[in-house]
Amino acid sequence: MIKLRNLERRYPLAKEKFFYVLRDINIDIQEGEFISIMGPSGAGKSTLLHILGMHDHGWRGEYFFRETAVHHLKTKERATLRNEQIGFVFQQYHLLDDLTVYENLDIPLSYRRYSKSERAALVADTLDRFQIVGKKDLYPRQLSGGQQQLVGVARAIIAEPKLLLADEPTGNLHSGQGEEIMELFRKLNDEGMTIIQVTHSEKNASYGKRTIQLRDGWITKREQ
Amino acid sequence: MNDLKFALRQLRKSPAFTSIAVITLALGIGLNTAIFSLINDLFLKGLPFQEPERVLHILTKGKDRTDEFQMSALRFMLYRDGQTIFSGFAAENQQAATVSGLGDPLSVPIFKATANWFDVLGVRPIMGRTFLPQEEEGADVAIITDRFWKARFAGSQDIIGKTIVLDGVAHTIVGVIAKMPVSWTGPNADVWTTKPMVIPGFSYEKMMRGSAFLRVIGRLKPGVTLDQAKAALGTLEDSYRSQFPERGDAQARNIIKTLPEDVTENLRPGFATLLTAVGFVLLIACSNVANLLLVRFSGRRREISLRLALGATRGSVLRLFVFESVLISLLAGILGAALAWQLVPLVPKLTANFLPIEQGSASALSVPVLLFTIGLSLVTGFAMGLYPALQSSRADIVDALKEGGRGTQGSVRQQQFRKILVGAQVALSVTLLAGASLLITSFVRLSQQDPGFNTDKLWIGVTVLSQAQHPDQARRARFAEQLQTALRATPGFEDLMLSSSFPLFGNPGATLYTRPEGNVPPVAERKGAPSNDIMPGWFRAAGIPLIAGRDFNEQDVMDHPNVIIISKAGAKTVFGDENPIGKTLLITNGSVPVEIVGVVGDVRSVQLNHANNMEFYRPFAQESWPFLKIVVRSPLPPETITYSIQTALRSIDPSLALIWPQPFSEIMAQALGQARLMMWLLGIFAGVALLLASIGIYGAVAYTVEQRTGEIGVRMALGAQTRDVLRLVVNQGMKPVLVGLAIGIAAAFALGRLIGSQLYQVSAHDPLLLGGATVLLMAIALMACLLPARRATNVDPITALRSE
Ligand SMILES: Nc1ncnc2c1ncn2[C@@H]1O[C@H](COP(=O)(O)OP(=O)(O)O)[C@@H](O)[C@H]1O
Ligand SMILES: [Mg+2]
Repeated sequence: MIKLRNLERRYPLAKEKFFYVLRDINIDIQEGEFISIMGPSGAGKSTLLHILGMHDHGWRGEYFFRETAVHHLKTKERATLRNEQIGFVFQQYHLLDDLTVYENLDIPLSYRRYSKSERAALVADTLDRFQIVGKKDLYPRQLSGGQQQLVGVARAIIAEPKLLLADEPTGNLHSGQGEEIMELFRKLNDEGMTIIQVTHSEKNASYGKRTIQLRDGWITKREQ
Repeated sequence: MNDLKFALRQLRKSPAFTSIAVITLALGIGLNTAIFSLINDLFLKGLPFQEPERVLHILTKGKDRTDEFQMSALRFMLYRDGQTIFSGFAAENQQAATVSGLGDPLSVPIFKATANWFDVLGVRPIMGRTFLPQEEEGADVAIITDRFWKARFAGSQDIIGKTIVLDGVAHTIVGVIAKMPVSWTGPNADVWTTKPMVIPGFSYEKMMRGSAFLRVIGRLKPGVTLDQAKAALGTLEDSYRSQFPERGDAQARNIIKTLPEDVTENLRPGFATLLTAVGFVLLIACSNVANLLLVRFSGRRREISLRLALGATRGSVLRLFVFESVLISLLAGILGAALAWQLVPLVPKLTANFLPIEQGSASALSVPVLLFTIGLSLVTGFAMGLYPALQSSRADIVDALKEGGRGTQGSVRQQQFRKILVGAQVALSVTLLAGASLLITSFVRLSQQDPGFNTDKLWIGVTVLSQAQHPDQARRARFAEQLQTALRATPGFEDLMLSSSFPLFGNPGATLYTRPEGNVPPVAERKGAPSNDIMPGWFRAAGIPLIAGRDFNEQDVMDHPNVIIISKAGAKTVFGDENPIGKTLLITNGSVPVEIVGVVGDVRSVQLNHANNMEFYRPFAQESWPFLKIVVRSPLPPETITYSIQTALRSIDPSLALIWPQPFSEIMAQALGQARLMMWLLGIFAGVALLLASIGIYGAVAYTVEQRTGEIGVRMALGAQTRDVLRLVVNQGMKPVLVGLAIGIAAAFALGRLIGSQLYQVSAHDPLLLGGATVLLMAIALMACLLPARRATNVDPITALRSE
């Protein structure tokens, strides 16, 4: 599904000098995989995720998403591709404070080609599937952290992406809540969704089928 | 005091904020100060009379007529003898006279007054005395102003008892008074004499027929109310009607005004509009600064919580903020006063003498104006600072801060407040813009109005034929012939028009008329129309088309049948489809029969914004006044024309002076004066309002974008594209704008009444103009939203997500 070749990301430091966040990254990810990226803070994990998620465009190298050569796409085409294929979960949930659970779930749909009735049906389905129907009119601040992240995951997959990217999704949760989210990921993966998550916890990484170790921008270890 | 120092230091620390806030407010305060100083000059300063509100000016109004007249001599006498409510009842008769013996002959307005005139006004002489009762009928005495005394007599100390020659008659100067306000006397009022019932060239009998030429005032006795006076004068009105039913003014009604009302009423609607408009500008400026203060104060929460923790009361925190706000508005007040000081002297120039302010005398720097400015600044400072201060000093905000919450929730109220400010600004600006566009359209229509005669390259001047040299019709006619002959040969004069009156120049009065057939109405119920006594060839020269019949010719003289030419509209009204040529009218209150020999095109002779109905023209040889209007069409410079005319006049009669020589374009400019003033001022105010409102909208939207960077980043990560972000920001920004537009248009509709009376051929509810104003404001608001919205689309989701 994803093929990275000689991918590098650098930031200018001073004149003619660069700080390399990622260098010579080569990864192959198959459809349906569940991958955990690990590594110390500052290793470039989030950077890699943003590149995979097509938010970051300042990299060099080759990036194939399914059959598409992302490195040849224009920004706008990448946005379209992202909207069709990719969902995001954030460590800080990033729910919108002024919107209810229902409205938060509706955001991704509002930016894609869905009719009003399709949107209502999808939101209702999702609320049902995540068993948060009773919370649909609450505001994020009225939910616990675990519940908020549940909504965050629901929002990430509501537009039916093929790939789910999660940057330390359980980083702000205590272990019980974290486990709940991981079980959810496993279920989604069983249903066929490709998942790439960043995590610091070995236990969470064990939910994945493969781990990529990142250190100072280099891939140091792959586990099967 | 410490707080004040602290506030000053805070302002100095952020010069950008301080200067933007001060300049914004200074615009608002400056414009208000400018308008207030005009209002102070025109309305509030008051007339320099004793208790002017106790002095009534009594005018008359014909039955079914809208225009007001002064009072006839007979009515004045009856009222004077019958009244018991006034401690003094006086009259004045304004004419023009030529002053000789003081350098070049000089023509001035003179006021022939009853002996008690100055006593009724309560004006004391600076030197000498006022008139004595025995001087009223027979003595040749004069009172002059200190201005005239200084200019013409070099302020010589033995002025009392000296003589001044008026129209060839020596008058003894008995007193000097302070110059009177222009609003009461008109310009150049310097000489008063007695004999109010004498008009040169008019027989006593003719005068007593009911022509209204006396300006009549009365001072109420102590204790008499205005209502009592009105009732008493009503009784006198009835007794005049029953005693003199055949007089021209028998049916006229009293119009009673106090002097302050009298001098201001024409200006009131205009200034009410201007005051509303500058009030709007100030409100907009205030709301802009209030918005800035809100941002500024709530950015200092840490400081506030620290102060509260150290034991400050909420009141003391409030005081700190309000000090800062008031300090800003006081600085703005100083700058605003300076702005007004520059602006106000421009106004008389702008208005072409429409306002009764003498050139050069208008100034914004007077004590009441400065007090007004300081007061306004203080009020402004409090008003705009209070809410932001209250909001920012709320204790629960401090709590929210400690919790380290996301912050957006805590400012919901502030966002609400900001939206209300933006909505209000838009409402105020669209109202102003609508008003300005109405006035501009009105001005354009008025200035394009064809007056019915050709005003191109015209020059006008007046001369007064003195009673001594030109005592009767025949003599005046001969003079006009001589002058016409003398001037006709002048190279560069394309057309020459001599007449006793000229359209749009002075008041031609009203000549009563009726058809002689059938039931002839009594004089008092006849209609009146302006009448002009003209020399042959006048129509062709003025470019007024002859529609039927003939022009006057050499046969239309004294001993021949009286003839008249009437206007097209008048012919239509009086004769309908009948042919008026050869028909007879009875004109003047003497019911003189005249034969209609011609019909000419309509002319707007009285006001440019009013079509006249009937207009009369009579041959100068058959009817004339001692006032001769000399009009020349010529490409020559005005001074050259003036010189030629003066030379020609002197060659015929060296005692004659030329009064008010000027290009006719100045008369036209005066006719447009009020419209021009209103257009300019409201246009400027609307421009400033638009500028401030767009800054306000921009500021509010930019601030929201800044606050919502995180949210925008999340939305982008969830799939929002550039156009989604634009739509989000613009929608949010435009919502209060749209609400404001709706309110503003409703307000413009409601305020239509205020402005309606000042409009010419435009409805105050003109849908095209109101719509145009709405669209323009919407476009500007959209621009103001789009600039920060574009910035929002540049939000980098990665940074936005990371920074949370
Ligand atoms: N805009 C940037 N400019 C310069 N350096 C950056 C920028 N963004 C990230 N970095 C650097 O890139 C490195 C990797 O960051 P990140 O991908 O967030 O690490 P991780 O998620 O593994 O902790 C860090 O050292 C960080 O300082
Ligand atoms: Mg990270």
